[in-house]
This record gives sequence, structure tokens and C-alpha cells, in this order.
Amino acid sequence: MTRHVLYKALGGIAASVAALLAVGWLVFVPSPKEPPYAFVAAWGGKGDGPGQFNDPTGIAIAGDEVFVADARNGRIQVFDLDGNFKRQFGRPGTGPGDLGRPMNITVAGGELYVAEYWNDRIQVFGLDGIHRRYVGRKGSRPGAFNAPGGIAVSPAGDLFVADFYNQRVQRLKADGSFVGQWGTTGETGIGAGSFNYPTDVAIGSDGTLYVADGYNDRVQAFAADGRFLRKWGGPFAVNVHGPFAGWFATVTALAVDAAGNVLAADFYNNRVQKFAPDGTFLTAFGGEGKGRLRHAMGVAAAADGAVFVTDFDNNRITKWRPSDDR
Amino acid sequence: MNTLSRFALAILATAWFTTAALAAGPSYRLEVAGLACPFCAYGIEKKLNAVKGVERLETNIKEGTVIVTMKDGVTLDKATAEQAVKDAGFTLNGFKQVSPGDSQ
Repeated sequence: MTRHVLYKALGGIAASVAALLAVGWLVFVPSPKEPPYAFVAAWGGKGDGPGQFNDPTGIAIAGDEVFVADARNGRIQVFDLDGNFKRQFGRPGTGPGDLGRPMNITVAGGELYVAEYWNDRIQVFGLDGIHRRYVGRKGSRPGAFNAPGGIAVSPAGDLFVADFYNQRVQRLKADGSFVGQWGTTGETGIGAGSFNYPTDVAIGSDGTLYVADGYNDRVQAFAADGRFLRKWGGPFAVNVHGPFAGWFATVTALAVDAAGNVLAADFYNNRVQKFAPDGTFLTAFGGEGKGRLRHAMGVAAAADGAVFVTDFDNNRITKWRPSDDR
Repeated sequence: MNTLSRFALAILATAWFTTAALAAGPSYRLEVAGLACPFCAYGIEKKLNAVKGVERLETNIKEGTVIVTMKDGVTLDKATAEQAVKDAGFTLNGFKQVSPGDSQ
């Protein structure tokens, strides 16, 4: 009789756990709303020659050109949308035009903005590769950086910088003067508006600021007036990492596509995930099949819907298209 | 260029490389977990490069190791390496002096 009761109790516990797991799966692992993107092409290979890479990190599109930060080679390489090499500029160093571990990059107003992780500055180039100016300096004071990881520029020209080791995102005027910040300088946190090594930022056409909260394994969104809007990535978006749909294992870059959707480079999950502006999971690609990524580092979206991804371990660039494209 | 000149050049080049190699100081192998992400790897390299006397670094992301070679006559103590790795947000899992060219 006692054994019968014990079996019954164990059976009940097992059923409860299974039910909880099923509910958890339904609640925290969303189904894709779109098919995965289709692999189009890849180019690169390890080296320091034209078209080769030694740690490709950031990537950005300007018209019909693809700009890639080639971090260990200390340069920017430029390709056409089919991957044909066009030109390069920069070399390792600290002077004007030199680059110290360039990370995520962005193009705005006909200029290229490069977050220099080692030189603690944003360097601005003409699209022809000519150095134009610096923004920022080393430090933790307002307007200074400790390893900037990424940058976005608002339509009004304000700069938003993911200030990695300072655990904050800064908003600056175009001349570098401080406007405000999100996060507490030098302090990590998992609450809304706190960061755990922010790696990149992107801005939607409505002014929404998206932050890749790198080691918190989530994305946070803020309104144009600075208000926290939402966060997503795993259960409750509180630094729970995993391989499931909508979860992350270190977000290293963000891009907003022409439709306003958010693309996130999900580094250790070897994929790019796509979300609606409200954080709804749409699809993921790159984790398997043709074009399989080995650590997705950077992501950029072209006006025609194509998406370009820096495939870090493979030292190459991959190009993708929505599957329903004709 | 005749054979004699080539021979002399080869000797000079060998002497230069030997001198350069001998001029380098001791090397150390640091083990750090979680180096695969470039934000992590470059962060550690940045902090270690800021240590006085560091000549060069060789990072092996896959193995999670950094070989630190010091300038001639300079040594690296474990506490300094530990602090640099900690400042980069990581924990030093292993520290040992190695022979030149030995990354094991």
C-alpha cells in the first residue's frame, strides 16, 4: 500500500515537471513567424591580403558597398554587394587613420564611424577612407570611453555609443559633447536600463534605441526620449542564456533592417536572430546548413533586404536573403 | 649578386634574428576561460599590453591562452597578470613561465 502511494506521488511529480516544462517551452520558446534566410554567398579567408581577414568584426552597408572592420589587421575593407574587393584603408596604430581593434561600425551622413576598442575613441572617416575626426577619449568621465564596442547615429546627428567596460550607453552631440547616458558607469546589472558589457547599439527610424546587452544575453529598447521600453532574450530577459529561439548566448551586434525589424548577432549560438520592433521573435539563420556560421560577430542589412554577417571564426563574410525573395 | 655576397647576407640576417630573439625577455603562458569572443580577447590583450615591460602577446582564442613575452630583463609576476585579467573581467586559471616558442 505504502509503495503504491509512493509510486503515485512520484508519478504525480513527474507529470507536474513535464507539464511545467511544456508550459515553459510554450511560453519561453517562441515559434518562428518567418522562414530562415537563404544563404547566398561567402567570401574571405584568413590572411592580410586584399579580401582576406584576421578577425572580421563590424560590418556596415553604404549604398552598394559593404564596409568590414578587419580587427587584427587594423583596417577597413570595402567590397561591392557581391563580395568583390574594392579598396582598403587603415593600419594598426594610434595616429589619424590608424585603427586599434576596430569593432562595430556604422555609416551615417556619408561618413563611416568606427568604434576603436583599443584606442578608446570613435574615428570618423569619409567613405573614401580619408580620416576626418575623432570623437571621445580614454576614461570614464562623460564623453570618454573605455573600449567602445559599437555606435549608432540618430537622424538628428546625435551619437549613441556602447561603452563596453564603462557598462553604459552614452548619448553625445556630433561634436562629442555629453548629452546623457543609460546604465551606471562601471557597474553591471540585470535590471531594466542596466547593462552587463554592452557591445553595440542600433537606431530605428522612429528613434528607438536598441542596445545589445552583450553578457546579459538580451536586447534592450529605449524610446527616443530615453524611456526604457522593453527587453527580450530568454525567460524575463535577466541574463539566462541558451540555444532556443529568442534566447541568446552573447549578443555582439545589432542592425535595423529597412522594414524596422531588429537583427541580432548571436555569437556563441552561431546565428543571426530577427525580431519585430516589439521584440517578437521572427526567425533565425546561420546555425546550420549552407553558410553555417562559426561565431556570428557582426550584422548589417542592405536596403534590398539582403543581410551580411561577419563569420568570425571562419574569417569570412556571408550574405543572406529572405527565403521568399524571388 | 655573387655567392660570397649572398653568404655574407645570410650570416648577417641570421645574426640579426638571433640577436632579436635573445633580446626578448621571458615568456609566460596565461590560461583564461571564455576567450572566444573578440570583446573578451581584445579586452585582455588591451589590459596586458598596458602592463609595463610587455613586448608582445600571442592569443590563442581556441585554447583560451595568451603567451606574454616581456622585454629583455623584465619579468611578469603572477599578481600583475592576475590583476590585468581581472580588470578585463576574467579569472586567471593558469600562469607559468615557458621557454621561447613553447605555447604548451
